[in-house]
Amino acid sequence: MAKTHSEPELRPLADLDPIIHAPARLMVLTYLYVVESVDYVFLMRQTGLTWGNLSTHLTKLEEAGYVAIEKEFRGKKPHSMIRLTDLGRAAFREYKTSLQQVLNGLPDDQE
Amino acid sequence: MSQPKSLQEAERKVFRTAYQDGLWDVFLGCFVLMFALAPLLSASLGDFWSSMVFLPFWGLVALAIWLIRKHVVAPRVGVVKFGPARKRKLRSIGLVMLVVNVVALVLGIVFALRSPVPGQAVPIAFGLIFLLGLSIAAYVLDFRRLYLYGLLTGLSPLVGEWLYTQHGVAHHGFPLTFGLSAAIMILTGLVIFVRLLRDNPLPDPQNSARYA
Repeated sequence: MAKTHSEPELRPLADLDPIIHAPARLMVLTYLYVVESVDYVFLMRQTGLTWGNLSTHLTKLEEAGYVAIEKEFRGKKPHSMIRLTDLGRAAFREYKTSLQQVLNGLPDDQE
Repeated sequence: MSQPKSLQEAERKVFRTAYQDGLWDVFLGCFVLMFALAPLLSASLGDFWSSMVFLPFWGLVALAIWLIRKHVVAPRVGVVKFGPARKRKLRSIGLVMLVVNVVALVLGIVFALRSPVPGQAVPIAFGLIFLLGLSIAAYVLDFRRLYLYGLLTGLSPLVGEWLYTQHGVAHHGFPLTFGLSAAIMILTGLVIFVRLLRDNPLPDPQNSARYA
């Protein structure tokens, strides 16, 4: 008889933060998680998103309080820098842990 | 565009994109070029004035690279401020480079006072300093081309000395060996820089203004 695996508890999958779970926003947050702050151009180049797409996702993240968009001056020109807030950092960490827990509980192959 | 598979990889990718624009290669190449030109200038201007020429040269190169990074690279690639871990690494590499330079200076003074130094002591010592300094920088900064540059500049004094003793090449062969190393570094940097400009055109000015 084939060895049976205990059913993984999949409930946490449904509890994953939907704000973070969208692929484009997950990509944006991944980059923001590893730096202090970046500007629009940098995020656009790294993620491959268009201006409009990036702006829409950043607005959602900003509304959730996960990112902060701050104006600074480079010389005399205004320049927006985007950073992950403490709330965003904590939410991303929690998302990462939950996803890891669920995925680690799954067997490698379905027999 | 390929996306990183882990957070660590994402951080590395960000760092590489922000720093490996070819301008560091040009900057280092210009530094090595000074070793190629020093003996030629020293022969014509004397030791004091030849070293005085290098200060403004070095300043001009640094200024030009800063301006290019600010006005040409940043509008195309964007601006990033690194996290604390990377900042610590950058500070530690600064410290290592300071130590390497102080060791080189002390060795230079010691060798000058004990002149003539027997055998291959001088080229071996300076070759090792170049190799060690650039290899440490390559490891800490995850900037693999620096290993090759370390090898090239590390071999330059040794090969130069060999050319001088075996074939009588002038100025200990330094203009040739350091010149070749500098040319390889500068050309590599320029190719990378041109590719960066080609692959990252200036963003649409309307959007740039809107999201600035």
